[in-house]
Amino acid sequence: MKPFLVLILCFSLLPAAPRVDPKEEALVAKRRNYWAFRAPERVAIPAGVHPIDHLEPAKRPLLEKRSLLRRLTLDLTGLPPTSLEGNYEQVLDKLMASPRYGERWGQKWLDVVRYADTNGFELDAERPHAWRYRDYVIRSFNANKPYNQFLREQLAGDELFPGNAESLIATGFLRAGPRHVVGGNQDEEQNRQEDLIDMTHAISATFMGMTMNCARCHNHKFDPILQADYYRLQAILASTEFREVQLVDGDAMLSADARQAKHEALLKPLKDQIKEIEKPFREQFRAEKLPTLEPQFRDVLKIDKEKRTEEQKRMAKEAERQLSPTWDEVVALIPPDLKAKRAALRQKMHVIDLDEPDPAEHAYSVFTVDKAQPTHVLKVGDPRLKQQVVEAGLPLVLAPDLGDLSLDPHGRRAALANWLVNPSHPLTARVMVNRIWQFRMGKGIVSTMNDFGALGARPSNLKLLDWLATEFVQSGWDIKHIDRLILTSKAYQQQAVQRRRMDADTIRDSILAVSGMLNLKMYGKPVKTPIEPEIYDIIFTEGEPDNLWPLPKDRSEMYRRTVYVLNRRTIRLPLLMNFDQPDTMSSCPERPTSVHALQGLTMLNSDFMQEQAKAFAARAKGSVDQFYQLALGRLPSAQERGQAKDFFSKGGTAEDFALAMFNRNDFIYLP
Amino acid sequence: MTSFTSRRNVLRTAANGFGAIAAEWLLQREATAAIAPKAKSVIFLFMVGAPSSMDLFDPKPALKKYEGQPLPASFGKVGGQFTDGSNPLLASPWEFKRYGKSGLPVSGLMPHLAECVDDICFVKSFYTESVVHAPAMYQVHTGRILMGYPSMGSWVTYGLGSATDNLPAYVVMPQPEGTPEGGTPCWNSAFLPAVNQGTLLRPGPSPILHLRPPAGVSAERQRRTIDLIQQMNKIDTAPEDNEMSARIASYELAFKMQSAAPEAVDLTKEPEHIRKMYGLDEKRTQDFGTRCLLARRMVERGVRFVQIYSGGGPVSMQWDAHSHLKANHEKMCGLTDQPVAALLKDLKQRGLLDTTLVIWGSEFGRLPTSESGNGRDHNMHGYTMWFAGGGVKGGQSLGETDEFGLRAVGERYHMRDFHATILQLLGLDQHKLWYLHNGRHEKLTDFGGTPIAKVFS
Repeated sequence: MKPFLVLILCFSLLPAAPRVDPKEEALVAKRRNYWAFRAPERVAIPAGVHPIDHLEPAKRPLLEKRSLLRRLTLDLTGLPPTSLEGNYEQVLDKLMASPRYGERWGQKWLDVVRYADTNGFELDAERPHAWRYRDYVIRSFNANKPYNQFLREQLAGDELFPGNAESLIATGFLRAGPRHVVGGNQDEEQNRQEDLIDMTHAISATFMGMTMNCARCHNHKFDPILQADYYRLQAILASTEFREVQLVDGDAMLSADARQAKHEALLKPLKDQIKEIEKPFREQFRAEKLPTLEPQFRDVLKIDKEKRTEEQKRMAKEAERQLSPTWDEVVALIPPDLKAKRAALRQKMHVIDLDEPDPAEHAYSVFTVDKAQPTHVLKVGDPRLKQQVVEAGLPLVLAPDLGDLSLDPHGRRAALANWLVNPSHPLTARVMVNRIWQFRMGKGIVSTMNDFGALGARPSNLKLLDWLATEFVQSGWDIKHIDRLILTSKAYQQQAVQRRRMDADTIRDSILAVSGMLNLKMYGKPVKTPIEPEIYDIIFTEGEPDNLWPLPKDRSEMYRRTVYVLNRRTIRLPLLMNFDQPDTMSSCPERPTSVHALQGLTMLNSDFMQEQAKAFAARAKGSVDQFYQLALGRLPSAQERGQAKDFFSKGGTAEDFALAMFNRNDFIYLP
Repeated sequence: MTSFTSRRNVLRTAANGFGAIAAEWLLQREATAAIAPKAKSVIFLFMVGAPSSMDLFDPKPALKKYEGQPLPASFGKVGGQFTDGSNPLLASPWEFKRYGKSGLPVSGLMPHLAECVDDICFVKSFYTESVVHAPAMYQVHTGRILMGYPSMGSWVTYGLGSATDNLPAYVVMPQPEGTPEGGTPCWNSAFLPAVNQGTLLRPGPSPILHLRPPAGVSAERQRRTIDLIQQMNKIDTAPEDNEMSARIASYELAFKMQSAAPEAVDLTKEPEHIRKMYGLDEKRTQDFGTRCLLARRMVERGVRFVQIYSGGGPVSMQWDAHSHLKANHEKMCGLTDQPVAALLKDLKQRGLLDTTLVIWGSEFGRLPTSESGNGRDHNMHGYTMWFAGGGVKGGQSLGETDEFGLRAVGERYHMRDFHATILQLLGLDQHKLWYLHNGRHEKLTDFGGTPIAKVFS
């Protein structure tokens, strides 16, 4: 279509909407012709031909079957195959029906939505109910929930499906990002703006494949996204607040309180004993500190509490703060024997705390308030520099009437979600099929999965992208259908130019699977795994640094799949971090692959690897055939047998052989 | 461009050091060394919790004159994180003297550093955007008050690579008592490649995490395991497969590092007079002196960026003097003054100061008003940091604060100016050092800062 024709068409579509500023319209009108803003066009596929083979023919010979099954199993489940037998399509069916399928997809989706289990920033507190969103994601992929439903639940489950616990939990998407929670004088407006920025970025990157963040400070330099568009999107969220919503009835809440009270009662005698030990030293501290206070502060303390002026109250508060010792100042005064007694009591408390009852079930979700604060365009994104007020609206380039959203604070997110899943939306389906393609092929058709804009890459094959997008919509937004189409194509099954490395999670999970220690229990609270003392030391606390990382009582919990391992924003596990686990601060559409020496050190010397090598060696019973069979699903070649023989004849141990197997390129790279 | 050729080039030059092998996407980086570099490496001395500028380098006689009175109304009510601005002014408990040829003032808290003022460029008019420790730390380390952006050291090593293959290009030495409030995001690589993360380095036999084989595994035994891995991996590595070749190389480097890193942190080889100079013979200065001496040894061995924290963990081990400013700053200066001065003098006597940029700074400064009668709350409106060494014109003081030391006045410098200055000293063009992340050309200085021209020699 010629650009001028499109122009005419666009104008003819324009309603006489007074809300649209003609100047804004003039800025974006010409750009509606950009490929990603036009509806996908579906080419015809000849009968009897696999559509992908037609649109993206394989360039290389197919991989031999056993390697192919290994690739398929790792891709679909994130775990190595236990057998390399069977018909490809039958194995594919079996793997797609396996609960491991949702775990593997879940981890991918959690990368995209910047999910972690903690707030981030200095205190980095755990979010006690956030994990239900993680479980929701895994369940959704396993159930092959239609993507339009999946999207609508995450964006507006509370508004669209009121009273439905699963949909409420889904809105955890909106608040999965980092959040600054700290005491002292706070700039509430700045904090709120940070929440809005995070939500706006998450929505535009995840569902629209657009990076709106450039438009926070100015009209987008490369894309027809206006600064006003950015704040109109924020206005959609202006009535959205974060809230934990209870999922159980009053009786269950009461019994949870009762369980907690019982737990506190167990701790109380120990706490009292510690208090008793500390008491004289707290008093000693106070007595020694008092003379060092400035005289006017000492004098204030002598005045009757009731009779203090405002100024005196402030001074008294500051004086009291100085007179109350911090934990280390108390401990420094306690003699060794009492110190040991105190430490033993704390240790007893920590043991009891391992049985701390779970809080009553809540959804880590959002809530729509009845009155939204007005949204201003902010100069250079600064909440102190307010400019004109904007109403909630959709990006002008995609919605020439700005979506005509109602002014009611309720239902704005629902309107956004419904607009996104309109079958004619040019981005939603393209963005998701491109993610599926990238997940399976290693590289997106648009290689910048979160940026379909001008700065992003052009599609390497627009016909393919568009065919998949239209097929996705026609199939009822069926993720498994698209996934299966890709996996049955020759493009997927051909030999690799460059082998793909497993991501960090798959590396850890595969090692556990091969050692036989993997615990396949699904769902629930995130689990802590052992950390090195060096990592323990970088946990920030101003408090007493004992019991900062309690390990689960049931040790088998430490060998759960990585998607269930506590993802703490400031404390990254070295094995995962060294293999490029994302930092969860913003959406990660694709993990990079770096190669460096720290990987080797961790893969050889960490306690985890030593433990796993030991278990693997025991499992293989020292048999070279078994080592190969368990790790790679095949027997060793003659040359490999020779290597093994040579290694053992020089005194090499079975554990070291097991360790070497884990470090092989063909163990941590896909065929 | 054929990506394979480029990748091989990157591989051959081992541009990122530490066994880091760039993958294709890493080549999104433009050529960055557009400016003649003055410094090759950086030592960033970070004072956790915020020292008080007006008690160290920025004397304010008006504080004495108006002590006990509130700030004049014309200044507005300026609070910190805990005070609301109504507290009275607090005079500095210390006297200032002028030192060196330059005659720059330093308070009695830092007698050793005072001997180095002719090598130092003080910038007294920095300001920042948060009055809370962690966000302000993120801003000075990463350019944003939010988490999730690469730290300065990550950008620098991303831009310049490393001059050593046996050691990490970017090392971090926190206070042994605990981590700074900002925590790991202060040295993380965020969306830059993992190899650009700061690596924790500690004194002792195992300076790097997982460096040593486990107890009972000899070097010989580990060598045998690595040999087996290499044999196994060579079978299926085609010569043109750079990533696989890189993996093979990375295991050799890991092995080499096992001897190189302990050697690099072995201070027993240092002569007595050097150990004494850094204060290793005294309990008070031993820890920070050790870390400063390690910093020099790292720079000598080609490490690009060294970050040392003074302070961390319990409040009593930070510069965060909300009360008892006198006792707190006497303690913290006592721990650091001699080692910092020794580092400058030692680098100078070895001819390393010309190519090593030393930066001393913090997340913000402290208010001229009092907290708890004898302390000071946080001040983001004006504070001092200093530069020395590589490309810096020493013996000068730039910028100023108002008569009470509350706000930077005249030529004020934002954190992006701080970062632009550092990048320029290293020969990096702040506008070309970018990384495409989620559709945006992310840079350390974001929209761009102005290098502080007068800093340059």
